[in-house]
Amino acid sequence: MIEYKAPLSDMRFIMYDVLQIDQQWQQWQALAELDSDTADAILTEGAKLAAQVITPLNRSGDETGCEWVNGNVTTPKRYAEGYQQYIQGGWSSLGGNPEFGGMGMPKALAAQFDEMICSASLAFSLYPCLTAGACLAIDAHADDSIKATFLPNMYAGIWSGTMCLTEPHAGSDLGIIRTKAIPNADSNDIYRISGTKIFITGGEHDLTENIIHLVLAKLPNAAAGAKGISMFLVPKYWLNEDGSNGEANGVSCGAIEHKMGINGSATCVMNFDDAKGYLIGEAGKGLNAMFTMMNYERLLVGIQGLGCAEMSYQTALSYAKTRLQGQDRDGNLANLLNHGDVRRMLLNSKVMNEAGRAFSTFVAHQLDRVKYSDNTTDKATASQLVAFLTPIAKAFLTDIGFENCVLGQQVLGGHGYVREWGQEQLVRDARIAQIYEGTNGIQALDLVGRKLLADKGAVLTVLTNHMRDSIDPKDSFAHILTTKIEQLEQLSQWLIQSAQIQPELINSCSVEYLNCVAYVIYAWLWHRMDKTATALLAQGNEEKNFLQAKQHSATYYFKHILPRFDSSALIVMNGSEAYFTFNEGQF
Amino acid sequence: MPAYKAPLRDIQFVRNEVLNYPAHYSTIPEGQDATPDMVDAILQEGAKFCEQVLSPINQSGDKEGCQLGDHGVTTPSGFKDAYQTYVAGGWPSLSSHSTYGGQGLPSSLGIVISELMGGANWSWSMYPGLSHGAMNTLEAHGSDEQKATYLTKLISGEWTGTMCLTEPHCGTDLGLLKTKATPQTDGSYRINGTKIFISAGEHDMAENIVHIVLARLPNAPEGTKGISLFIVPRHLPNNLFEPNGVSCGALEHKMGIHGNATCVMNFDDATGFLIGSENKGLNCMFTFMNVARIGTGIQGLAHGEIAYQGAVRYAKDRLQMRALSGAKYPDKAADPIIVHPDIRRMLLTIKSLTEGSRALLYYAAQIADLLHSDDEEVREQADLQLSFLTPIVKAFITETGFESANLGLQCYGGHGYISEWGMEQNVRDARIAMLYEGTTGIQALDLLGRKVLMTQGQTMRTFTKVIHKFCQAEQNNPALQAFIPALTDLNKKWGDLTMAVGMKAMKNPEEVGAAAVDYLMYSGYACLAYFWAQMAGVAQQALNDGSTEVDFYQSKIATAVFYYQRILPRAAMHKACLESGCSNLLDLPESYLAEF
Repeated sequence: MIEYKAPLSDMRFIMYDVLQIDQQWQQWQALAELDSDTADAILTEGAKLAAQVITPLNRSGDETGCEWVNGNVTTPKRYAEGYQQYIQGGWSSLGGNPEFGGMGMPKALAAQFDEMICSASLAFSLYPCLTAGACLAIDAHADDSIKATFLPNMYAGIWSGTMCLTEPHAGSDLGIIRTKAIPNADSNDIYRISGTKIFITGGEHDLTENIIHLVLAKLPNAAAGAKGISMFLVPKYWLNEDGSNGEANGVSCGAIEHKMGINGSATCVMNFDDAKGYLIGEAGKGLNAMFTMMNYERLLVGIQGLGCAEMSYQTALSYAKTRLQGQDRDGNLANLLNHGDVRRMLLNSKVMNEAGRAFSTFVAHQLDRVKYSDNTTDKATASQLVAFLTPIAKAFLTDIGFENCVLGQQVLGGHGYVREWGQEQLVRDARIAQIYEGTNGIQALDLVGRKLLADKGAVLTVLTNHMRDSIDPKDSFAHILTTKIEQLEQLSQWLIQSAQIQPELINSCSVEYLNCVAYVIYAWLWHRMDKTATALLAQGNEEKNFLQAKQHSATYYFKHILPRFDSSALIVMNGSEAYFTFNEGQF
Repeated sequence: MPAYKAPLRDIQFVRNEVLNYPAHYSTIPEGQDATPDMVDAILQEGAKFCEQVLSPINQSGDKEGCQLGDHGVTTPSGFKDAYQTYVAGGWPSLSSHSTYGGQGLPSSLGIVISELMGGANWSWSMYPGLSHGAMNTLEAHGSDEQKATYLTKLISGEWTGTMCLTEPHCGTDLGLLKTKATPQTDGSYRINGTKIFISAGEHDMAENIVHIVLARLPNAPEGTKGISLFIVPRHLPNNLFEPNGVSCGALEHKMGIHGNATCVMNFDDATGFLIGSENKGLNCMFTFMNVARIGTGIQGLAHGEIAYQGAVRYAKDRLQMRALSGAKYPDKAADPIIVHPDIRRMLLTIKSLTEGSRALLYYAAQIADLLHSDDEEVREQADLQLSFLTPIVKAFITETGFESANLGLQCYGGHGYISEWGMEQNVRDARIAMLYEGTTGIQALDLLGRKVLMTQGQTMRTFTKVIHKFCQAEQNNPALQAFIPALTDLNKKWGDLTMAVGMKAMKNPEEVGAAAVDYLMYSGYACLAYFWAQMAGVAQQALNDGSTEVDFYQSKIATAVFYYQRILPRAAMHKACLESGCSNLLDLPESYLAEF
């Protein structure tokens, strides 16, 4: 396994040069004091933690896995020490609400740190990641006394959090969950929760003193389907009056799953047996409450795909440079970089990772605009972009992330298949991100059904206008980019109109449509990175190698990746007929 | 792991109805005994063995894995017993030459059995699979004495075989290998060196293992021209209880195929025997490389089949959400997920790729049968066509097989990621196929560089001619109007594209490496387009003739439509990429691929 190096120069280039996010921060009251120097200091420290503390836990964590004995779960060796260093550095509070002990850093910055930790060890990253998600939900929906009771310790990482949604028979379709919540006879604000949840990441472990579960359940006489779901906060240990951990609540871990990857992360079956909990938000609004933090969570899962792909690329590149195999043009023994097909694999990864980083940063910045901007128009536009881009970020970044991990493995030949270099673990770890937090099929359905069709393409227009506004007609890719944006608009109009007559079309075309949008967005981002690099070179910037590589990568993207748009668009236009001529017996 | 069900009806459809195997067998010497009834009986028995013996130990074999102890390598529970059942059933000798105890049936029939065994338990099937490599080597290049001593034992299954090529510093580039062979006065050789990634290098299933080892003689020329081929048995045949300087130094920890022992093999003054002439080792290997690569292509097909069987069962069973056009099963809590178009997209992608690949693979197997023809002209043509098809069979089918395995997992949602259902094992097992026996990149270089351009397209035309004739013959067939115009166009573009790459390659040889994988994938999609048109035609004819298997045949036609509308557009994407040329790959200095 090679040493991970956080792609700091690329992160800086994207944040400060291409998207110029730091200038926006300073216009927002809450972030007025955050400049690029402070942000840099955070990133540099984060890079150190990722490389020196977290990366070394990754392979051993995979080999040891978690252990379940009588309801207790032991995390892999040295996870506890790594976790202590993580929380002592204050990393668990990075994006948290300052009123309750968070650092209040913008998502665009936190997203860079997220990527580093995911590159270092996806399995480890899930423990703090789930806590951060639970904190978001509590911060958005709980009343102040609950916030004051739980958030400070969760931000400090002394307690962790989980999200308990899935049940054995209900995954994508939460409307049919069976977990029940009954109002407690003695106390108005306490409920008794009973039921079984599965696939609960970090449901039980030995890293923190308490675990705070957010559980979806149904109250007596709740409406059928999604409208009958409420959200409850159920701690592993009920708190004493003074806030210290009291008696064990009726929460237990029945088993942990044996999985393909992320073996260092405990995936638990959680049993709630008359456990005490608080209602968070309004009754019947549990799913909505989940959705407010879903945009953050889904972006984060997208970044998991990116993080794994970056690590795989770094390993593949380092291997390609040192492995001597075959000959160069002059007949000398040569490294793998001399072979066109190895370059194809490395460059596919490189240009998709770098565009992916620009994309995730862009989406994270839109989340920040929604949160921090005091301009209502600005807020509204950003909010529309977030809604439209989140499913793309989750699905596309993880699909491409997996693809790139497989390519990174392929570069190593047979050595990629054995444990030693870590490439096969990355493939196994990255695979989950295409599934959880809503499968990528569900993301695509959300994009087309809910986001594109709901307002007949109005949000898409916000996006395409935004892209057009920043096209530099002098840039060599301006023309093709403009054409692709138009084609995307036409394709979308066709889909909107056809779907009115044929609702099945929505879910038939959705995955390919999502890819179409993403390839155009990546083209736009490569255009922006190309013109930024060109401008900086013209100003005599000294990072010549770095900036020229950006220009070449843009060319590579437009010639070698963008043709995928046409193929996906054609598949969308071929409609859904080919699916429904089949009756079920014909499968 | 879903219980494996041998897809016999689909296999019969492809072999009997589409590729007309009964007629084919009547024209080749090995085929005389392979009457339709005989073939059916063999496949029925094979299916039973695979479903009842091999499939049940697939998941447990993954969990248990192989162990290296003081007495060598132990395979997972049940593996040894299954091997004994396999030997007792006479399966190892099915398609081997009768002179050395084989049953003399066509090799294409052996390939069907390989598909069934591979689908049921790929890791297990690699043990007999590797023996086939050793058998082929000995059959083609061994002396009569070597054949009598070793080949007979391999054919009976009493011993198994391996191929020892890779060393720590060389995989793709075998010219660099270092293992040494020193001649002895008795005509034998002392072999010293280390080989890695040796599948089935050591195990407890048979009393002896015959290693076929690439090594260098003293003063051999450098590079690939100085490699010779040796038989190095684990135990010398005259003393099966004494070791012969061959030992397994370690087992690899792998992503998948845990039931198969991937060994580091140490040869320490082991006694070996030269096969064929000195320094011609690599040429010897190449004589049957085509057949070996078809064998790896089978793996992609096998994992695609498992993915489909598992996913379709789950999709009909799992209830989740309602169809967008309204509830289809209002009496249930939710609709089964097979009503959702995106689930159908995944299922049909797997189905169309798997069944299309099966047609391509059995077509190639049919051509491979002709390599033994008495007619020299037939042999030559078969060799040309097969040399073109094999890199496509190996690389395209394993790439799409892996895609299918992943889609199969995806249909299960989170349940696909956990071990219980076996879908994640299917992905892990499938992944190796794109790496061993020459990576996808190497296959693509072989296809475009060696097979197509070096023969000025001659090998390719043997196949595009077949498509061309088909299109001409069927152009007025009303049942095929959805396919023939597109296929005709595709076939022409394939030729044009090849010409264009060839012209560019004359100016700059780097174009070949840059275009190769896109070219191979384009070729794979084109091949499947041909077979799907053909399958649709056969199915329509069967319906016209009043077949009662209406669902079966309509499903073939609908899958063909799906393939043309939703898979084939990928070909255009590969075309655009490869037409963009090599400059965008090679103009960047190495330093631009920065390590941060």
